[in-house]
Amino acid sequence: MRAAPHLTLVAATDASGDKVWYPEAVRKENFALPRAALDHLDALYRVARNLTGRDSDAEDLVQETYTRAIAAESQFTTGTNLRAWLFRILRNAYIDSYRRARANPVHGGFADEFAAEAATTASEPLRGDEELERLRGVVTTDIEVALASLSVDARSIILLDLEGFTETELAETLGCAVGTVKSRLARARGILRERLREYGS
Amino acid sequence: MDCTETRNHLLDSQRGTLTGELRARVDSHLAECDACRQEDAVERELSAVLQDRLPRPRAPEALRRSIEKRLMGEPPRASGGIRRTRRVSFFASAAFAAAAAFAILLWKPHGSDPMLAEAVNDHLRVLYSDHPVEIESGGIHQVKPWFTGRLDFAPVVAFGGDDDFPMQGGAVAYFLDRKAATFIFKRRLHVITLFVFRAEGLPWSALATHPVGGASGTLETSRGFHVLMWRKDDLGYALVSDVDPRDLQMLAVKVEGGV
Repeated sequence: MRAAPHLTLVAATDASGDKVWYPEAVRKENFALPRAALDHLDALYRVARNLTGRDSDAEDLVQETYTRAIAAESQFTTGTNLRAWLFRILRNAYIDSYRRARANPVHGGFADEFAAEAATTASEPLRGDEELERLRGVVTTDIEVALASLSVDARSIILLDLEGFTETELAETLGCAVGTVKSRLARARGILRERLREYGS
Repeated sequence: MDCTETRNHLLDSQRGTLTGELRARVDSHLAECDACRQEDAVERELSAVLQDRLPRPRAPEALRRSIEKRLMGEPPRASGGIRRTRRVSFFASAAFAAAAAFAILLWKPHGSDPMLAEAVNDHLRVLYSDHPVEIESGGIHQVKPWFTGRLDFAPVVAFGGDDDFPMQGGAVAYFLDRKAATFIFKRRLHVITLFVFRAEGLPWSALATHPVGGASGTLETSRGFHVLMWRKDDLGYALVSDVDPRDLQMLAVKVEGGV
């Protein structure tokens, strides 16, 4: 049953940045997803940008993430980790988007979902100091291409770790056991290093 | 503590999240093991590279405003026809593809797309090279066999040039990290370069909505050059030139075996 609007007013910022007042009842109906969700916009966009490799795709992915979040807001429990919840939606939206792209042969897709999970044995391990030297010379394009060649989960865990996610948040976002996070991250970084060695050579 | 165990704790050690005895044991192993110290340095450098050299853009202001509105209960609304079209092309059916294609052609931002940048760079190398053509074209039946043994794949190209698009010849080049078969065509006085390379492992856009024969591609513009890219089976294709994009489109259809 809907509560009748009454005279308690609450402040909010409208789209143009001005402070406006809404009846509380309106707020309750329409603002159920905390405005705190907006606090994560830059981080979501950053991760989306490096997950997809493109600004335009990042924007679409972030829009889709908030669309899903708003539609599913009843599933969000106040007091639980909003950041992990939003990034989990982002990751699922991303996986869905290119599954669709792959299922539809008319579209090109992102790099294969399961691509490159196994470490290849093609490249000889470098001596530590050589690898260090090569890493120092890595440019943005190298690292973008290397990231793009990783599986979605490997790419995700590296990018989320970069955002300062805790192991618990990583587990929640990626849907895996907390105990496996450390080794997943180590494996992902290991494959990334290997790719950077290949590209740098 | 041995090397394996130390390496399991390296990231935590670098981030200062180890405490007490564990931290002391990791530190003392690092003090006496060159290999682990080296590994520690490489892992630190990797973190620094990720931190400093990956793009870390802020969300565009228009996106922020649109999401703010929606969080306040407004239904999603297109802020402009073009943006709307692009979103639809990404998340809805391919039925919108053809309509979206020209919108993307005109508006798609291409700030830091490594494939686009590489395609234009490679085309410039062809333009400024003294010997852009390693094999003069006597037709596709002469050029294609020439690539055998020079590439680790067979370039699938159904078109060997005609009066509109005479083929000048071919060469081997690099596209990012891989070899590419390079075909050079002319369109009046303009040079058009076609790169064919293995498609896997590259950051292909999901916004491939530009029809190319049986496939779909992206048409983008960078530094005055138009780049039409698409993938078909295992191969990726990039056509680069300063000709009218419709000419690129015509040539792409021919390359894909259409007429």
